Amino acid sequence: MMKKRDALTYPLYPVVLVIALLALIPFFFLFVLALKNQEGGLSSIRLIPDFNWTNFPNAWKAGDLGKAMMNSIIMTGGGIAVLIVFSAMAGYTIARFPSVLNRIIFAILLACMMIPGIINTVPLYTLLIRLRGINTYWAMIFVMATNALPFSVFLYSSFIRSIPISLEESAIIDGCSWFGAFWRITMPLLGPVTSSVVILQGVGMWNNYAQAVFFLQDKAHRNIPLSISLFFQQYGANWPLMAAAATLGLLPAVLMFIFFQKFFISGITTGSIKG
Amino acid sequence: MKKKTYLGKLSVLITLLVVILLPLGAQGAKGTQDNISYFSGRVETVEWDTQQVENFEKLNPSIKVEYEFQKDASNVIKVKIASGQVPDISTVVTQDFIDTGLYMDLSDQPFWDRILPSVKDLCTDLKTGKQYKVATNITMGGLFYNKQLFSELGLKDAQNWKEFVANLEAIKRAYPDKTPLFLGGKDSWTLGHLIEFWAHGVAKQQLGIPGSRQAFLDNAVRWDAPNGIMENFAKALLELRDKHLINADAITATYDNQKEAFASGEAAMINQGMWVVGDIIKLNPKMETNIGFGPFPSVVPGLKSMVLCAEDSVYAVSATTQSPDAVFAFLEYLFQPEVQKSFSETRGIPSSFIDVEADWSPIKDDATRLVNSYVNINFSTEAPSGLSVDDTGRLIQKLLHGDYASPAQFAKEYQKIWDSAYATSN
Amino acid sequence: MQPAINKHRFLHPNTGSWHRYMAVPALVLFSLFFLYPLSRGVWTSFTAWDGFSTPKFIGLANYKEFFQDSRALRDIQNTVLFALGSAPLLNIAGLLLALLLNRTFKARTTVRSLLYLPAVISPMIMGSIWYLLLQPRRGLLAILLQQIGYGSTSNWMLSGSSAMIVIVLVNVWQYAGMTMIIYLAGLQAIPIEHYEAAELEGASRGNIFRFIVLPQLTPALKINVITNIIGSLSVFDAILALTDGGPGYDTESLSIYIMRMCYGNKTGYSTAVALILFLIILIPVLFSLQFFNAKEKA
Repeated sequence: MMKKRDALTYPLYPVVLVIALLALIPFFFLFVLALKNQEGGLSSIRLIPDFNWTNFPNAWKAGDLGKAMMNSIIMTGGGIAVLIVFSAMAGYTIARFPSVLNRIIFAILLACMMIPGIINTVPLYTLLIRLRGINTYWAMIFVMATNALPFSVFLYSSFIRSIPISLEESAIIDGCSWFGAFWRITMPLLGPVTSSVVILQGVGMWNNYAQAVFFLQDKAHRNIPLSISLFFQQYGANWPLMAAAATLGLLPAVLMFIFFQKFFISGITTGSIKG
Repeated sequence: MKKKTYLGKLSVLITLLVVILLPLGAQGAKGTQDNISYFSGRVETVEWDTQQVENFEKLNPSIKVEYEFQKDASNVIKVKIASGQVPDISTVVTQDFIDTGLYMDLSDQPFWDRILPSVKDLCTDLKTGKQYKVATNITMGGLFYNKQLFSELGLKDAQNWKEFVANLEAIKRAYPDKTPLFLGGKDSWTLGHLIEFWAHGVAKQQLGIPGSRQAFLDNAVRWDAPNGIMENFAKALLELRDKHLINADAITATYDNQKEAFASGEAAMINQGMWVVGDIIKLNPKMETNIGFGPFPSVVPGLKSMVLCAEDSVYAVSATTQSPDAVFAFLEYLFQPEVQKSFSETRGIPSSFIDVEADWSPIKDDATRLVNSYVNINFSTEAPSGLSVDDTGRLIQKLLHGDYASPAQFAKEYQKIWDSAYATSN
Repeated sequence: MQPAINKHRFLHPNTGSWHRYMAVPALVLFSLFFLYPLSRGVWTSFTAWDGFSTPKFIGLANYKEFFQDSRALRDIQNTVLFALGSAPLLNIAGLLLALLLNRTFKARTTVRSLLYLPAVISPMIMGSIWYLLLQPRRGLLAILLQQIGYGSTSNWMLSGSSAMIVIVLVNVWQYAGMTMIIYLAGLQAIPIEHYEAAELEGASRGNIFRFIVLPQLTPALKINVITNIIGSLSVFDAILALTDGGPGYDTESLSIYIMRMCYGNKTGYSTAVALILFLIILIPVLFSLQFFNAKEKA
């Protein structure tokens, strides 16, 4: 197998190159746009940028991106932490103990994955006013984690089902409780799926606008998407500054991906999943 | 069994506790300050507003103004209102909110003595005769044209539809590569404004402003009358399309394209409002002295050309505000002549205060000329609120796309969406 | 599974039953921030409500209105058409990319990151950039083609179907990387020994894929199929940025319609439409679940 792969590696490169370029084209233009002068407008965009680097500091200042970056990091980090604890536990139980209660919980979560979120907007806003959650990190953290919960539970339970139960059983024979077996045996094996959750849901939280627009009202709590929205005006948009802000806002998300994707691979190679 | 339920309950309890205790921790101690909320959807003045709030708080340490800007203000305020959180001061005002009694009667406020009577009229609620909002500025809409091109070809403001088409044809003859009238129809509100200006304008001219406002409220205008306003409007647009006097991609070009085409000289005319001027100059600083501003012709024969001249930058106060004194102290601060002068110059539109002298825009002189020489029309504030310029613009997309069998059918469709929006809000 | 658990519970009575209730905290969180607001939302679907005055109870009238609402019915058609294009394409593209990038080659990690990059940026911003590139006549692509002599006056945005194809392709571009990630996670869960054993027995590449890779990929496949069905049927941003639902309402999706109704003084009606969309999504998802569960048991 390994030998065959090596033989195939050479014709692979052109294909990979084309695909990678295809993925990058719009980012290239986002970057070109971020370096554009205000004069001339969008129709004057060409392959060679204007190299107006001042857009970056200007966008940083006008959008107060430093503050927004901190806010987004706190809320995304908190949201992910809450999400992983709740959904890994739920996913494990649902996969291993299909009791009536667990089946009902799973069915509810799954069904709610399909309900358009807009239906909740007004009641959720009312609830958060009563809980004094407007303009707080914790409310956004819980709301975002809740919204991501069904998919993550689904992800965890599916993957836990594919891990042989015999590993936990042998731990239990050695005197471990089921709960202990979950923490000591199963959880370490969940590295890859946890990184998937971080990667997939972290991005959603990082880009959250739908909830943020209602729950984060003051300047001090604005997240990245809200800051970017400052460059969209009632009539039209300031494209160069918007693109510069979007490029800057993208960086932490990309770093997060690169970091967790390494973990996501090493989690697999060190894991002891054997049939 | 007992243990099972105990543990189950325990975990429920712990989670509940965490969820309930967290918000308590987030609550801070509150002082004796007056807190008022100021909600705005005006992105052009975010910095200006922030600065003014700061200045005001320095002068009035006992009042704290919570300023909130939202890009999607018209959506966000609905969610706020639905949750019983009407901002103390809001720049988003609709007829529905006034009808629901959300806003305070401002009729007795002293600032009205300083505001142009015509603006006060536009701020007056027809149903009650009272003022629930105050507009600090005026905005205008019409046809912006390339001055240089017009003087080169010897063109003048069109007094009727025929002259308008003749102007466009003259441009087309002299410069086949240029677009005589550029539409940015992908952003459907720009097309919706054609209805707002060209079609609703006819009804406003025929009935007068107070008469048309009442007629809109009573749904008394027959838009689909045979050979009526909408049929003529559709015919007029189709004439422009068939004679190639508008851009071929009128449906798919954007508002950005429209601004850029005008700034670069590719387009001779655009139908817009004053909000476009600043952006055009930013795109091409040389345009500063080259932007002409003219009236739009009537699509129904026998009427005069018109210009939109309407209230802008409105404020309303919540009927249930806890600190009316603080609210009015803030408004009093905002409405000072020198503060309003800087606002007018920041936004690039004239002030409605008689004691504010501002140098607000390079098209100032044209604007004064238009107000005095042509029929002034207002915004259709009394049209059913469910009928957005976004929706009406889509009808024009379909019209230009050839989806309607005849102009009469377009008129019928328009009547239909108007009636349905009217039924929803009444 | 069940008997094994009971056996151990019997053998170790002291281990307690904590582990059986580990889904309860998730349920509590979910009940507070989702189910409770949802129940209020469902109630508004039985009311005539503009979003600010007092709601009036009108029973099923909103649901009846839906079936006479030509714009809504048109939107269902658009949404389903989009999903039929997007969901299968996303899965195929994601699987092919995962198979490709599961091989060992230099810069593999970098390429994976690049392919995932589109999913990281907000779809609204990316959609706007794509519109700059693809806009008929004025887009950069159109201008470049013109310069090399392939100028065309055709306008993909003018017909609902050609516009829909562009929207589907942009959506696949944006989310193929996300689908790929799940497939990669699935592929990497396949022990290398399985490949080696098959290699030793002289199995062909096709057979390795069919008998070793595919069965092990079932969980990933299930997740991808279901999330892509849900995602495609609730498509929103890509359409808003590329066509804004136009011309007219020819490319408007049901989600966009719901949003426009919700803030357009028909809040009560919009919640009813949202619940109808839920049913439209539920049906194919239930079918897929049925299919995969049968497969897992077999």
